[in-house]
Amino acid sequence: MLGREYKSCRWRHHLHSGASALKKNKRVSFFQSFNMAAARRLKRVAASQPGFLHLKSTSDSIDSMSSRRKRVNKNKKKNWNKHSDIIDVEEFLEDVRHQERTTGGLLSEKSDDSLFFVDVGQSKKAEQKAESIEGKKRKGKTSRPLRIDLILQHDSLVPPPKDVLAYQQPNAKKLRRIAQKAEQLAAKGVVPRRQKQLPNRRPVDRKAKKAVTEANNNPDREYYDIWGQESKDSADPWYLQQTGKKLVTRPEKLNEKPSVLPAVEVIAPGGSYNPDFFSHQALLQEAHDVEVKKQKEEDKIQRQLAINKEDRATEETTLREQVEGLVEEENEEDTAPNEEEGGVAVGAIALAEKKTERQRKRQKADKIKEQQRLSDRRQTEQRQQLFQLRSIKSSIKQQEKKTKDKQKLRKAKQEAQKGQPRRLGRLKFQAQDLEVQLSDELAGSLRQLKPEGSVLKDRFKSLQKRNLIEPRERAKFKRIHKLKYVEKRAFREIT
Amino acid sequence: MGGLQKKKFERGSATNYITRNKARKKLQLSLPDFRRLCILKGIYPHEPKHKKKVNKGSTAPRTFYLLKDIRFLLHEPIVGKFRDYKVFVRKLKKAYGKTEWSAVERLKENKPTYKLDHIIKERYPTFIDALRDIDDSLCMCFLFSTFARTGKCHVQTIQLCRRLTVEWMNYVITARALRKVFISIKGIYYQAEVMGQLITWLVPYQFSHDHPTDVDYRVMATFTELYTTLLGFINFRLYHSLNLLYPPKLDSKSESELKEENEEDYALNSECYLEKLSALSASLARVVSTAEEEEEAEPDQFPIEGEDLEKMEEKEKKQKEQEAQKKLFEGLKFYLNREVPRESLAFVIRCFGGEVSWDKSVCIGSTYEVTDETITHQIVDRPNINKQYINRYYIQPQWVYDCINAKILLPVEDYFLGVTLPPHLSPFVEEKDGDYMPPEKVKIMALQRGEKPVHEQEDDDEEEGEDDDEGEDEEEEDDNEDEEDDDAESEEKNLKKMEEQRSQGKSLQVKVTPGKMKVQNPARLEQEEKAEEKRLAIMMMKKKEKYLYDKIMFGKKRKIREANKLAAKRKAYDDAEKAKKKKARK
Repeated sequence: MLGREYKSCRWRHHLHSGASALKKNKRVSFFQSFNMAAARRLKRVAASQPGFLHLKSTSDSIDSMSSRRKRVNKNKKKNWNKHSDIIDVEEFLEDVRHQERTTGGLLSEKSDDSLFFVDVGQSKKAEQKAESIEGKKRKGKTSRPLRIDLILQHDSLVPPPKDVLAYQQPNAKKLRRIAQKAEQLAAKGVVPRRQKQLPNRRPVDRKAKKAVTEANNNPDREYYDIWGQESKDSADPWYLQQTGKKLVTRPEKLNEKPSVLPAVEVIAPGGSYNPDFFSHQALLQEAHDVEVKKQKEEDKIQRQLAINKEDRATEETTLREQVEGLVEEENEEDTAPNEEEGGVAVGAIALAEKKTERQRKRQKADKIKEQQRLSDRRQTEQRQQLFQLRSIKSSIKQQEKKTKDKQKLRKAKQEAQKGQPRRLGRLKFQAQDLEVQLSDELAGSLRQLKPEGSVLKDRFKSLQKRNLIEPRERAKFKRIHKLKYVEKRAFREIT
Repeated sequence: MGGLQKKKFERGSATNYITRNKARKKLQLSLPDFRRLCILKGIYPHEPKHKKKVNKGSTAPRTFYLLKDIRFLLHEPIVGKFRDYKVFVRKLKKAYGKTEWSAVERLKENKPTYKLDHIIKERYPTFIDALRDIDDSLCMCFLFSTFARTGKCHVQTIQLCRRLTVEWMNYVITARALRKVFISIKGIYYQAEVMGQLITWLVPYQFSHDHPTDVDYRVMATFTELYTTLLGFINFRLYHSLNLLYPPKLDSKSESELKEENEEDYALNSECYLEKLSALSASLARVVSTAEEEEEAEPDQFPIEGEDLEKMEEKEKKQKEQEAQKKLFEGLKFYLNREVPRESLAFVIRCFGGEVSWDKSVCIGSTYEVTDETITHQIVDRPNINKQYINRYYIQPQWVYDCINAKILLPVEDYFLGVTLPPHLSPFVEEKDGDYMPPEKVKIMALQRGEKPVHEQEDDDEEEGEDDDEGEDEEEEDDNEDEEDDDAESEEKNLKKMEEQRSQGKSLQVKVTPGKMKVQNPARLEQEEKAEEKRLAIMMMKKKEKYLYDKIMFGKKRKIREANKLAAKRKAYDDAEKAKKKKARK
């Protein structure tokens, strides 16, 4: 393999120049590593050396060279490209690149130690180790990297080219000049303007910002005397109003409570954990009454929903239903005379005759006479009322008393209504179930007491009862799209 | 003539009201935000008198607000904050969707918040106004502070509520403002008098929550948000009225007392202080450190008008009573066993000047141990206790509450261990003349008047005397019981005497009296012995035999009863006959 012949005459003169030239070139390559042309030249030089190793054989190129040369004009660039034979050069270059990729440099430059080793056979211990390693490998397969990772690994030994742009600084020249000038000035003792103004700057107010972002439910929040201090903003009221910073005064009416009920209604004495017998019974009675009322309402609805006995099908009705329309009935006969009557009535209207003059006069006179009679009667009645004065007076008194009573009643009703929950929305207020413990549920001591009811619910209902919020019910879950049932494949396979 | 035709629903009540939905649209808020705003600002729905007129002829049930109220809401700066918050949520959602975590962080840092201070000032222009409305906020805060921190509401809210309630309780203790306590099946009702205002609040029992589903937590949280702000400001003011430091600080003396080595076992360092405060066993630090027991100078009293003299006297009497009540437990030392509700009892006892402690492992802040000889009362809620000290009373917790409601120290015998307790009466019921009063209440009132408890034993004795002709066995047993009762009575009387003397602050009379010979009736002794033997024999019977014996005895008793009945009938008949004969003779 060593000392291969090269046909290209261009390389001939290099052959004698020996190792010294190689070293020189190598040094050059160190300094201009990014200059591709130089590098290529270097490679060619290196390859022309007697110690250069080729990985591929070049016998085919020799054959091609031996054939007859074709004559072409060389005054045209096209022909240069077409007919100059550069395969050998390219092959060579490819070879160089291949070597670089695989070994990280040219083989010829490598020291012998890195290429060869003395094979003295395996020592026994090493063999054993190898066996043991194999055994381990079988067990611990996970330590080997995955094939996919191996494929993706960067296998070239040529280092990637440096990114020139990464080392470049935009406006480097200008910046350098500025820095130089600043240095000069500093040497003279001149402080730049910006630096001079630094102490005048306001310190960053970090605390103020924090205060703004403090949440309402922060457990460590601070309070102050809100009622003691007078309003802080004593700025011009006109300014405040115009800039929308002035708070609108609250109307007095809004401070009235919507109900007269107290905020906390204490449970009846029967609700004690260890109640007196009679008060406990009273509470139980109350709860019982509520239940009875509820039951009555329910029963009423049930009664209304029940089937009427008369509507139930009997043998007779079922038979009639079955025969409906099959047997002709004598309804037609009944209807016929009705029609005749109708005809007669119509005839009567048509037959009304015109009144004569005499008749009209008579009627008029009668009317006047009747009116006269009525007015006379009214007059006598009025005259008679003079004697009924006392009874009239008493009746008026009675009426007045009646209205007064009604007024009182209405007022009392209104008063009573004040304590009642109002109708504020779609739903009516529904009182909470009374908290009651039956006689056998009562605990003997505080330790065994089992609390009844929920305070949360009690508070919520109290708010509703006092008209602070409207009664609502929990929103029901509404499905927008219908559910579609699909049998899963796995399930289908089983059945 | 004529003019323009009037249109319907363009004047009158129809224009004074606005439906909820319209109001919501006018304010450009979502329904939850609108609700929140209304709650915070104290604007409530209104029921119009003529619904059909207001509803433009329709009778559909709707929620109405007064138009003027809604107009007032338009000026509220918080509305803008609500809108900001909506935008914030939208941005945050977007950032999450795009997984831009830095943006999420930045947004969260700049989360829009709002203050309720100006609303408090606006709704409660003066301190007294706020104090009148404190019931609700106390209830709510106590309720929320007992919630589990499971995400039903913000943990921070719960912590804040806890802090505020502890502050409130500490204030009530220092001001000695508590008046009434009522243990109900629902929770514990307290009533305090602060600056002349009666304040009632309800504290739920610990760990008794099932979360009801038909309660709107969002609404409740909004109310709590408002109420925590209100209660905080009130607390601040109240603390300053007593010259106390706010936020509350423990007294330097008591702080050093409470210092313990293994504090970390109870709570984190950050929570330790609040825990100590909530133990309620130590007094608070004052702004100006004054002498320990500062004698309050009695204000001079001027009779305003001659006719008010009686009222004045009455007032004075009441005041004296109150002063006495405030010092109800002064000088008493309580020890709480671990099975009693610690917080409630500690609060109540400290409110009336008592000293209180508990086992170290129950809670932080215990000041002395069980072995302390100076303890006067140990509160126990179990049927019996193994190791008992002679010089202290072992009583059930109800005694403390009943004493407070009765405003005197009640005799302790009714509340000893294992004794059936007298009923716990509600102090919130005020009976008028002629109303039915439970006998226990009558008894307590008699005690309040300073009368000694009268026993109704005499009546019983008389009845028993009449029933002499009953069976022999019964008689014997009755006799025995009578004797025992007598013994117990005398003991009780002695104890009661001692108790009263102690409550009056006198030292016990220690006197040696010459002993008396007890006259013993040998026949009676023999009888007693026999009866005792019989009873023991009955006790030792097997179950089967006992059953049979009981049956026999029952049969006997029934016979006797029937005989008695018949005898009574006969007697009545005889009497009637006699009367008849007499008449006939005449």
